[in-house]
Amino acid sequence: MAHFAKLGSNNKVIAVLTLNNSDMLNANGVEDETVGQQYLEKHNNWPAQMWIQTSYNTINNTHLLGGTPFRGNYAGLGYTWDEDNEIFWPKKPHASWVKHNESASWKSPIGDAPALTAEQTNQIIAGTHQWGYTWNEDNTTWDLIDGLA
Amino acid sequence: MQKKVLSEQALYYGDVSMPKGFEIDRDKLSGDILQSQLFNKEFPFSKTWDMLNIYIQEHIYLNYEIQLINKKTWGNNYKAKETTIPFLQADPVDLRHSPDFTLLYGVKVENCLVRILYDDNRRKNKSWDIELKNNMFIMFPATCMYYLINNQKDSENFVQTITYEYQ
Repeated sequence: MAHFAKLGSNNKVIAVLTLNNSDMLNANGVEDETVGQQYLEKHNNWPAQMWIQTSYNTINNTHLLGGTPFRGNYAGLGYTWDEDNEIFWPKKPHASWVKHNESASWKSPIGDAPALTAEQTNQIIAGTHQWGYTWNEDNTTWDLIDGLA
Repeated sequence: MQKKVLSEQALYYGDVSMPKGFEIDRDKLSGDILQSQLFNKEFPFSKTWDMLNIYIQEHIYLNYEIQLINKKTWGNNYKAKETTIPFLQADPVDLRHSPDFTLLYGVKVENCLVRILYDDNRRKNKSWDIELKNNMFIMFPATCMYYLINNQKDSENFVQTITYEYQ
């Protein structure tokens, strides 16, 4: 089963369809994206170049089954196709966050949230606290929150 | 202080901006409208109509997460200077089988005004006017009465109606 994202205006993903692998074989019997695109154009009345193949098992530029990641992320509704970098981008989570092409994900301007200390982790295991960092867009900081507080 | 919106009467409208070379064939739709009117037949399913319908469904879901399901569709031509009778697509005595939304699409229109009637709590029978243009859609609750006004002196307006329910 192959998956194709249907692109609307501004390269936004408006639908994701599945396609039988047999419907995208070229004359040599090899799977070919352009054959799939032509099939989808014919049967779905949408231009071939606006169908882009996407990998169901790729997220944050990692293949969940250990294979080769393909186009950054599995396309979802509202994602944006970045033709130059060949990445499907999810919606920007916060205004200040920036694209990180290597991981095909959005990163805060100060990087990832700090790791929890051993003490905090122990407290989570003990069930006395539920520590976690949440992004504070107003201050552009990671705030430590106790979910049980 | 907090607020919870229990119900809303929203109007969704815009152009059907299809990719180049895949535009809605409005000549085909107006021909189908005439055929169905002349021979008193159901509006025929066509590739063109399907493209319009899918565009609406996909974009409404993308932007508002409303999953539209087709109920009925038909086309009308309205005479020059005609003001239609008020239409209501929801049946007040059969709400169970009534649609949720009425969609109007401008197939071949000019000076075509749509007047949508609605209640704002105790303020009854308010109205909102919006001009329907070629290749434009207007979607509103099927419980709203509406009528169309053709302000042209000598040309007909062709309008496609699609009704939807949502999940």
